[in-house]
Amino acid sequence: MPTTPPQISPVEEQEKYLHDALGIVKAQAFQMKRSLDKNKLMDALKNASAMLAELRTSLLSPKSYYELYMSISDELRHLELYLVDEFQKGTKVPDLYELVQYAGNIVPRLYLLITVGLVYIKTNNSLRRDLLKDLVEMCRGVQHPLRGLFLRNYLLQCTRNVLPDSPDNEVECPEGTVKDSIDFVLMNFAEMNKLWVRMQHQGHSRDRRNREKEREELRILVGTNLVRLSQLESVTLDKYQKSVLPGILEQVVSCRDAIAQEYLMECIIQVFPDEFHIQTLNPFLKSCAELEAGVNVKNIVICLMERLAAFSQRSDTVGGEGASILKEVQLFEIFSNQVSSIIANRQYLPPEDMIALQVALVNLALKCYPDKIEYIDNVMLSSVEIFQRLGMEHLESHSSVAKELLKLLKIPLDNYNNLLVVLQLKHYAGLMQHLDYFGRKSLSIYILNNALENETIIPTAEEAEQALTLLGTLVADDKNDHPVADVDLEELTEEQCLLARFIHQMKAAGPDDHFLILTAARKTLSTGGSLRIKYTLPPLVFQAYQLAYKYKDLKDEKWEKKCTKIFQFCHQTITALVKAELAELPLRLFLQGALAIDQIGFENHETVAYEFMSQAFSLYEDEISDSKAQLAAITLIVGTLEQISCFSEENSDPLRSQCALAASKLLKKPDQCRGVATCSHLFWSGKSLTNKGEETHDGKRVVECLKKGIRTAKQCMDVYVQVQLFVELLNHYIYFFEKGNDQVDVDVLNQLIKKIKSELANLESSDEAEQISKHFSNTAVHLKLRMESPDGDRDAYKGLLLNPDLEDEKAETKKLEAK
Amino acid sequence: MASRKKTLLKVIILGDSSVGKTSLMNQYVNRKFSNQYKATIGADFLTKELTVDDRTVTMQIWDTAGQERFQSLGVAFYRGADCCVLVFDVTAPNTFKSLDSWRDEFLIQASPREPENFPFVLLGNKVDLEPRAISAKRAQQWCQSKNNIPYFETSAKEGLNVEQAFLAIAKNALAQQNSTVDLYNEFPDQIKLTNTQKTSNNGDSCAC
Repeated sequence: MPTTPPQISPVEEQEKYLHDALGIVKAQAFQMKRSLDKNKLMDALKNASAMLAELRTSLLSPKSYYELYMSISDELRHLELYLVDEFQKGTKVPDLYELVQYAGNIVPRLYLLITVGLVYIKTNNSLRRDLLKDLVEMCRGVQHPLRGLFLRNYLLQCTRNVLPDSPDNEVECPEGTVKDSIDFVLMNFAEMNKLWVRMQHQGHSRDRRNREKEREELRILVGTNLVRLSQLESVTLDKYQKSVLPGILEQVVSCRDAIAQEYLMECIIQVFPDEFHIQTLNPFLKSCAELEAGVNVKNIVICLMERLAAFSQRSDTVGGEGASILKEVQLFEIFSNQVSSIIANRQYLPPEDMIALQVALVNLALKCYPDKIEYIDNVMLSSVEIFQRLGMEHLESHSSVAKELLKLLKIPLDNYNNLLVVLQLKHYAGLMQHLDYFGRKSLSIYILNNALENETIIPTAEEAEQALTLLGTLVADDKNDHPVADVDLEELTEEQCLLARFIHQMKAAGPDDHFLILTAARKTLSTGGSLRIKYTLPPLVFQAYQLAYKYKDLKDEKWEKKCTKIFQFCHQTITALVKAELAELPLRLFLQGALAIDQIGFENHETVAYEFMSQAFSLYEDEISDSKAQLAAITLIVGTLEQISCFSEENSDPLRSQCALAASKLLKKPDQCRGVATCSHLFWSGKSLTNKGEETHDGKRVVECLKKGIRTAKQCMDVYVQVQLFVELLNHYIYFFEKGNDQVDVDVLNQLIKKIKSELANLESSDEAEQISKHFSNTAVHLKLRMESPDGDRDAYKGLLLNPDLEDEKAETKKLEAK
Repeated sequence: MASRKKTLLKVIILGDSSVGKTSLMNQYVNRKFSNQYKATIGADFLTKELTVDDRTVTMQIWDTAGQERFQSLGVAFYRGADCCVLVFDVTAPNTFKSLDSWRDEFLIQASPREPENFPFVLLGNKVDLEPRAISAKRAQQWCQSKNNIPYFETSAKEGLNVEQAFLAIAKNALAQQNSTVDLYNEFPDQIKLTNTQKTSNNGDSCAC
């Protein structure tokens, strides 16, 4: 037998070698079966030996060798069947075991010996123990790794059904007991593992890669020993603890080969049942700590944790033994301790692996002990300690350790779907600080989305503060850690909108507590800078307004004082927005506030409402310069003022006049026209204390406004705009006519209608003209309906001309102006 | 071969991990079941002797790893199979979905002579468990679409239908072997060119 390592040939050559060998096997097997049919055992053995000689090759790769081995062992089965048959018939072939030992080469000889030995065992139980011992010893004769591994695999395969599997007793027993089986397999295992490890050290170092690949392929042969041990029924937990596992671990640790160690540890986890693992965690994990530097211990430990976590969940649903064992064994404590000692003792463990182990610990805790939140906190703490010991801060967000950490921090969120539970973790925020700015921000957004999706309500000021601290990267700039220069506005808007939605979820059950939340939140949020507060403060203001309404309904002892305080809070908050050089937003918030104040009507509310209105006004005057924005603003102010009824004459008069004045000072004529027309309503439906909240109905001043509107409209150069304005004014007139303003009569309407009709006729047809004319005809239809209405109103419309004669139009216009 | 009384049948069990391949085999061969989960790595067989239509048959049942990563040496043991048993878990839809790929993989790797006629048997295991995800009808439809594969619903835990299923497996395997035995027999009786007997007879009659 050559002792040189196998020379591996290229693929085609491999195929050819294999093909040739298989051809010989086929021919010899055919001859062997013919000889058996003719009862010529000696011939058959010769054929078998010739067939087996093919396994002496050094030319085949492990996979090809396996194929050859498979086809040969398939054929040997026929020989075995024949022999068993003959033995059972009583044919004496007593010296067969001796006979096959004369086969010339050791490889065929041992294969035949195993085959015959098996037949002996099957037919005579009393030889079992001694024969097994003999066979496993004899196999030492083949020290070529590849051949030896397959030979011993054949031994394992053949003996599967005959391994003694009865419990130990003190009495000597030739059939053997489970102890003999354990010794047999452990010995075979040790020998195979040695052969397998030796491969690593044979041949040239440049072939190392290829050698390692081949070793990976062959590993299954070594692992099968462990399978065999796991199949023995008499291997009880006690036996496993006392002899099986220590035997395996001893071999694994002492072989000092990384490939073997990593594979075999995983193999132990896979082939033995969970019930055994749970009771042997300490020795197993201790051995993990002793493995070679190149072994990925993380994967091994995680594999075991995941398996036991799955087992725990299975037992929870099925019940049974597993569940009760889990209660007895401190699964989490054991893993937690062993993981920290692995981390402490293995200097080569990369930090991402340390964190990956923490991830696995958290998963284990959540699956096995879902109620024990302190376990999660423990893991957070030990992770913090790891980073402190390593001196790692601001982990760069694309690094693998940061990715693991992010994963670790997301698990409690994904699992509990409740931010409040995460806030209970004392070390969560501290651990998060080890991420860099971008990592923290991405986690913050994840937290926000989780809270929003689950509609998590934050019920106390303390928790609100904690939550906003976690979300620090979104709440304010961090000048220490972040390049402030390049802000992506679109991204910022998106983030701040999420934050704003979240702020609406901060609410306590009791109104007093709710106010505390708002105050606390403002304190934090107002540090956000002008880009952020325009998104984050308005929700606070609106929540405060709602809170004031709540006090109004409750009317508790000090509700009026509390409301005053709330509006002070709002005033300050809105003023903060003003200071951030915002105008339109605070203006709207002031107006909204004024409406709320008016409706709630607490002590001294008129003064407060006046203050809000006047603030809105000064914003209008000082800060809003765009003409479109001005018109929109004045329209809002007028609308608000029209709704408010709490002002005495002393306050309402200047405000109304101020509105009319502001409207008439707008830059563009059409804006002026529309502005004053809108103001006209202040003098009709606007309310004040003087009228005890009734509408003012000052018809004269209404008409003054409208007339001013007509005058302004005429000054417009654009005819289309002019006609459009006339139609709008007509609608205002009709409104007041129907409301019973005695200053508006049918004549006025007639004049306007005539004017519009004649102008409309002059317009060139266009989309714009069509739109205006549609507006007018709709108005006319409305009037016509009114005129024909069976209600009492019909008389009021007497003399209204919807289709006037257009000739004396000019005169009419002049008349209108004069009025 | 045909003259030897005992017939050796090779049967391969395939399917996703934890559908119960090992349990089915253990229930059939040893009439034992355990709730403990031990993953199978590699491939391993048990043998069982049974009588099919008055013939004694030794069935070699190969139990395989459902997780491919455990088959580091490849699947040379597929070769020479007489029947392939596909197993899925009736409570796990994914294990049913994998059946096609298991069947295809087998046909490619084992490369039987007539792939379209190669006998498969389908077992829907774990019928003792609830809730059920794959109905018998759906499984039968799949079987029909694959040239009428026999289908059995089994419970390895309760031993339900296991015996019947393996008997059917053995019958199918036997039918397969009988139909291909001649094809495998590539070595006809040798024609002896030396013809020693005749020469010796003729030798006597040579008058020259």
